Amino acid sequence: MPSVEPSLSTARLAPALRLRSLYLTKLHYLELPLILLAAATLRLIALGDVGFNSDEAVYSGQAAAISGDEQLSQFFPIFRAHPLLVQFLTSLLFRLQVSDLLARSLSAGIGILTVLLAYAIGKHLYGRKAGIFAAMFLALMPYHVVVSRQMLLDGSMTLFAALTVYFLARYSTSQQSPWLYAAGASMGLTFLSKETGIVLLAAFYAFFALSPSIRVRLKDLAISMASMLLVILPFPLTLILAGGGGAATTQQYLVWQLLRRPNHEWDFYPTVVGMAIGPLLILVAALGLWLLRKERSWRDTLLLSWIVIPIVFFQAWPVKGFHYLLLIAPPIAILAGRTLGRWEAIRPRRSAWIGGLLAAAVALSLAIPSWNRTQPNATGEFLAGSGGVPGGREAGIWVNENSPEGASLMTIGPSMANILQFYGHRRAMGLSVSPNPLHRNPAYQAIRNPDFEIRTGEFQYLVWDAYSAARSSFFSEKLLNYSQRYNGRVVHTESISTVGPGGDSVEKPVIVIYEVRP
Amino acid sequence: MIRRILRWAAILPLFVLLIGASGAPASASLTKTPIQHLIVLMQENHTFDNYFGTYPGADGFTAETCVPVNPFEVSNTECVRPFRIGDLPIENLDHSRQTFRLQYNEGRMNGFIQALNIRNQNGKLAVGYYDDQDIPFYWNLADEYVLFDRFFSSAAAGSFMNHVYWVTASPGRGRDKATPEGLGDLPTIFDRLEEQGISWKFYIQKYDPEVTYRDLVVGSPRPPQVEWVPLLSIDRFIDDPRLNRRITDLDEYYEDLRAGELPAVTFVKAIGSSEHPPGSLQAGQRTSRTMLQALMLSDAWEDSAFLITYDDWGGWYDHVAPPQVDEYGYGFRVPALLVSPYAKQGYIDSTELDYTSILRFIEDNWGLEPLTSRDAKANSLDNAFDFTLPPRNPRIIPSQRYLGDQGSEPNVTVIGISYGASAALAGLIVGFAVVRARQKQGPGSGLENESVGAQGEG
Repeated sequence: MPSVEPSLSTARLAPALRLRSLYLTKLHYLELPLILLAAATLRLIALGDVGFNSDEAVYSGQAAAISGDEQLSQFFPIFRAHPLLVQFLTSLLFRLQVSDLLARSLSAGIGILTVLLAYAIGKHLYGRKAGIFAAMFLALMPYHVVVSRQMLLDGSMTLFAALTVYFLARYSTSQQSPWLYAAGASMGLTFLSKETGIVLLAAFYAFFALSPSIRVRLKDLAISMASMLLVILPFPLTLILAGGGGAATTQQYLVWQLLRRPNHEWDFYPTVVGMAIGPLLILVAALGLWLLRKERSWRDTLLLSWIVIPIVFFQAWPVKGFHYLLLIAPPIAILAGRTLGRWEAIRPRRSAWIGGLLAAAVALSLAIPSWNRTQPNATGEFLAGSGGVPGGREAGIWVNENSPEGASLMTIGPSMANILQFYGHRRAMGLSVSPNPLHRNPAYQAIRNPDFEIRTGEFQYLVWDAYSAARSSFFSEKLLNYSQRYNGRVVHTESISTVGPGGDSVEKPVIVIYEVRP
Repeated sequence: MIRRILRWAAILPLFVLLIGASGAPASASLTKTPIQHLIVLMQENHTFDNYFGTYPGADGFTAETCVPVNPFEVSNTECVRPFRIGDLPIENLDHSRQTFRLQYNEGRMNGFIQALNIRNQNGKLAVGYYDDQDIPFYWNLADEYVLFDRFFSSAAAGSFMNHVYWVTASPGRGRDKATPEGLGDLPTIFDRLEEQGISWKFYIQKYDPEVTYRDLVVGSPRPPQVEWVPLLSIDRFIDDPRLNRRITDLDEYYEDLRAGELPAVTFVKAIGSSEHPPGSLQAGQRTSRTMLQALMLSDAWEDSAFLITYDDWGGWYDHVAPPQVDEYGYGFRVPALLVSPYAKQGYIDSTELDYTSILRFIEDNWGLEPLTSRDAKANSLDNAFDFTLPPRNPRIIPSQRYLGDQGSEPNVTVIGISYGASAALAGLIVGFAVVRARQKQGPGSGLENESVGAQGEG
């Protein structure tokens, strides 16, 4: 088996060739910085143009509460569904200032680090070229770009999941047990970022089970798992020791998660997420697996385990989210990188330009939608986890500046309520939150009798938004009925520019705030 | 020539600015204080002790308070301590001039129970009180704004005379109730305002424009709006459309606020939710809250003052003997709260006040002549304001009382230490792995080679 990048005996090269080689070597130094620059550009450009979505508002609200922000801690209880590593890290930044841009910058930074890690994994498993391609594809991948631009937990979970892959790769190549311990610790951080990362334990197991060439001593495995448990320890520890009803809340979340009804069709991941990862990229990754099947080794098994297990788990899980599958983005990018990195082995008689052309096509197929995704959404529709909510921040700021302290807002659903609470510092409650505790997020309170509560002056404003209305026309109509019944008067409107039927630019109202009185 | 024109052209905007600047405070200078709008909501039938007798820091019940069951019978030493009414059924306690005299008992303030017992009512009920569980909104207002604990009803009598004092600073014809003869041409504060071209309105909840004192029939029940709105007993306010249109339904208050047309002086009578026993206190609080919220949401808030008070004592116990300033009063203390961006925060004002103090404030603020010697001598509401501070932003007052910590907040230090330690531990393990790997690798052998060498395996 030849080495991936056969070393060249430069001594035997002609001076002209030597010069070319020197030029190429210098160029190599630029490849990774250029890729990181592209990754940073796509993740940071216009990062604060659109305000938070609901999840971002919640995580940032938790971070603000941890940092000691008294106002936001009223609206965002620290203990909700997830462990708090990301919120804790964000809270360190929030000690300087509570800012959506700051929180997202941290996420973007984590995304860029993941790109660097994809390079390291690709290089370690399949050689430098594969690493470069892997980093480039991940840097440009719309799925990773979109999620990295948001203050979500999945970016951090993916970084540590990729780090686990890296340590497992190092262990597998060196058989040095400390790498296995490091993989355990990294696995712990994956869980601390988001508890769903625990599914990768199955990938961990599958990798060793399907790779007989990798020998594992039981003692090393035990120490690795102990490392993981030690790192995970703050999660149960804080629930028990920090007080505030954390343990009970987390149990309620578990029950709720188990009983939640499906929120997307079965083909959500193949269609929506598949498109965001890049169909051509997936094709190239699969092509490599097929064409290089003779080279099949534990390396492919490791990456495939990191892809297949999360897909199977989240496909089976009734609740689906756009960002849930981010874990699989780096392994797919690495497999695609490997295909192009080993192109000469696939088509040795063909010139390299076909590989180059394919790489360029993949890069272009990723870069264009990624660039488009950095622009504000002008459709008035919104998919959770796919970006910020246009107009939400501005509406929240209006509420903060123009409504009396202590005012309460009724929204169609809890998503807009979260955004308004974060930016507006006013209590907001969703009309669609079920009064049945089994059918609602335990963090949310239901409005038991909306009509009565408006009549008794518990709510001063009703907030209609196009995004929630698109999801629930029933509650949208209900809210508008209340507005009509209780002398609703429009006091503020947020609009977005969108393209009308005639192709002209039209202002579409996306958030309307009504003042009501009994 | 052209230069001169240009010079004048340059100066002209300055003139415009000066005229504009001098015009701006002109409207503000109409009032002595920054208060451009005064709203007075008159509710019904409670004493200070009945609502705020247990309010911390106010002149309420003492540990020794125990009201004799019958002070007129020397051998009877039984007394009743104040008790929380809560959900106990209540009734409309008698609050006639005769009952006042017995309860007052020449300043001894001990005839409250017996005065009702002799009218076949449960006299002990008079010693009952409400607290923050029953009237949380009012207690919250007291916490945030001004609570008066020396605010007396103007007359030692029932509703009608006190309402007459409220708008005329006089007892009218000295009658306890509205009568078919009306109030004649009694001058009111609204006449004073009208003369000066200062806007005013009298809003009435559930107002029926067809019902006035002319509809009273001796021996038949008197419509509340006639009993409680003295203007409906004065012919010119009924017959003159210019004056009559200023008496209007409460719904118009909200429309006026939204339209930015709130009058300078607003009197309000809540007919359906007046808190008159045995009516619902919650309904009264809701009306007050709704009115206040509407004010807070409007542009008028920043130069307004909103006063809530009660027309008479309603037969309830109060421990402070009212000063007798003339043959008609004062009557017992009534609850009174002032809400304004200029109101002192969480302040208990013990200035001696009565309904004519409201008139005195209006007269002082808008430069009007007093109506009678009562309002001329009355203390104003000035002490409740602090005009040296900038106006406070509106704050929606909750309808529920804050009941302390419902559950402890999580300890953020524990969270910080735990997660920080965990990240550090992970870092240590990874660091250990890297160092050990380098040691085993030996000097000069880069880790890079591992991958190349291992490529062929398995």
